[in-house]
Amino acid sequence: MDSQFVVEIRDASIGYSMKEPLLTSINLQFSKGEIVAIAGPSGIGKTTLLRTIAGLVPPLQGSFSINGKKAASRGELGYIPQRLGLVRHASVYHNVLLGALAGHTSPWFPFSVKAKQLTLEAISSVGLDDKIRTPIRRLSGGQQRRVATARTLAQRPSLILADEFLGELDEETMTLVLEKVTNYVRESNSTLIVVEHDISRAKQMADRLLIMDDGRLNPFVSSPITVEVKK
Amino acid sequence: MKNRDLSDTENPMINPEHPLSSVWFTSRWFLLIALLIWLSVIVTNGMVDSWGRLANGGENLMIFIDESLWPPDWSVIEPQAYPVCTEPGWLDFTCSTAWIGVVETLKIAFVATIFGMIISLPLSLFAARNLNPWWLSYPSRFILAASRSLPSIIWAIFFVILVGLGPLAGILAMTVYTIGYLGKLQYEAIEGVSRPPLDASNAMGHGWLERSFGVIIPESANGLISQAIFMFEYNFRHGTVIGIVGAGGIGYYINLYLKFLQYDKVIAYLVLIFIVVLLLDLLSIAARSFFTEEGDVTRPPSPWWGIILPSAMIDLLKPK
Repeated sequence: MDSQFVVEIRDASIGYSMKEPLLTSINLQFSKGEIVAIAGPSGIGKTTLLRTIAGLVPPLQGSFSINGKKAASRGELGYIPQRLGLVRHASVYHNVLLGALAGHTSPWFPFSVKAKQLTLEAISSVGLDDKIRTPIRRLSGGQQRRVATARTLAQRPSLILADEFLGELDEETMTLVLEKVTNYVRESNSTLIVVEHDISRAKQMADRLLIMDDGRLNPFVSSPITVEVKK
Repeated sequence: MKNRDLSDTENPMINPEHPLSSVWFTSRWFLLIALLIWLSVIVTNGMVDSWGRLANGGENLMIFIDESLWPPDWSVIEPQAYPVCTEPGWLDFTCSTAWIGVVETLKIAFVATIFGMIISLPLSLFAARNLNPWWLSYPSRFILAASRSLPSIIWAIFFVILVGLGPLAGILAMTVYTIGYLGKLQYEAIEGVSRPPLDASNAMGHGWLERSFGVIIPESANGLISQAIFMFEYNFRHGTVIGIVGAGGIGYYINLYLKFLQYDKVIAYLVLIFIVVLLLDLLSIAARSFFTEEGDVTRPPSPWWGIILPSAMIDLLKPK
């Protein structure tokens, strides 16, 4: 299978039951270095689409490929779930280290100087140097989002899937988080697919905006999906 | 089936406005409890030949307390005649059977909890359905269920036959029981770990070991530690029983005096066990407070006597 696209979805149906698929006949491609935002009303299947790309939900039909393979290799894919997926009782360092760990295979890596360096750099880049040993549950919502971002930055994936990862952040934190992630995507020529309910914010951050309408998502047919290409 | 012929408005099962439906709805809990009590009485009636026996119970208890139990014989905290106590006078209680028995039971409970936890933790990681396929989780659950299917006293009899009388049999019996009991609590805690951290870990491509030790154990650590402390307390309480079959601890002495019908000494041991259990409960509350979510919150400490009362009563009785 050729791998000119980072993610390629062909004739796919997704959802949790064949009887009631959430989305059908999906054909989508995401290229390297691209930032794509997916917007649409709640309950339409945005998160399920992202989870299917992440390999957490099997597609009901059709094919999904990540860099030409059926599933992402270790460390290739970074995922920020809507509820961030942080280990609440562990420290900021531990959580960010989990990201760094995914990018490496050696069993001794967690104890190496490189792991420490990667982790501390990522924590520092989101401005949480003074919270390294603090458990996640003691951080504010905004700080937790910064940790989730740092975890992904420490992982250095070629594809980032983020589900409403800006949430209800204040302006300052949102700018910081967005800047860190987009800078990383541009510098490393990786791909960011982000689900975003706020269309104006989605337009602001993305190169391409997919708006999901009545349960069918296909940028190559005109209706019912509206595709806006920014630039 | 007469109800089927009724229209929807006439059927009390379907129509909430129907008077019968409203009677059922308002009194359903009362009727359910009444039904359960009635069933219990019917079942008991089949087993009890004469209810008149209950009438003599109170009188028998008073005679037993008056003639045999009270007052407790506190000679159990005095040094034994043999071996001769070499401790200084103020420490001579450490040569008593009560002290020796309690300390031995505590040691058995401590060692069994540690060994049990070391073995049950990997087993419970294998048993968790959110981490493993069925062919790994079900055999692990089978092992855990098998080791808790027998009470620790039966395991104690088994190990007394295997390794002879003494604390070793007690440790082995309690360890096996701890594996089953603690393992079940642990895999339930592991299965209760919230989904998003696991999803993030799966998507990143972590392996089983990384997911278990990097996500699952830290996320459920508070629960796991709290359960282990509870298990220690539980093992101490059960340690008093396993001595009865010769597996060491204070139960050995209780059994000895039961055989000689010296109930006043037995009650003295029971009072001591009660005091140690209360102390352990206090320690357990203090230790667990470091490992639960509430441990992060500064609260006014509960009074020491709070452990024997429900929390609502503590609030009423606590000095303002």
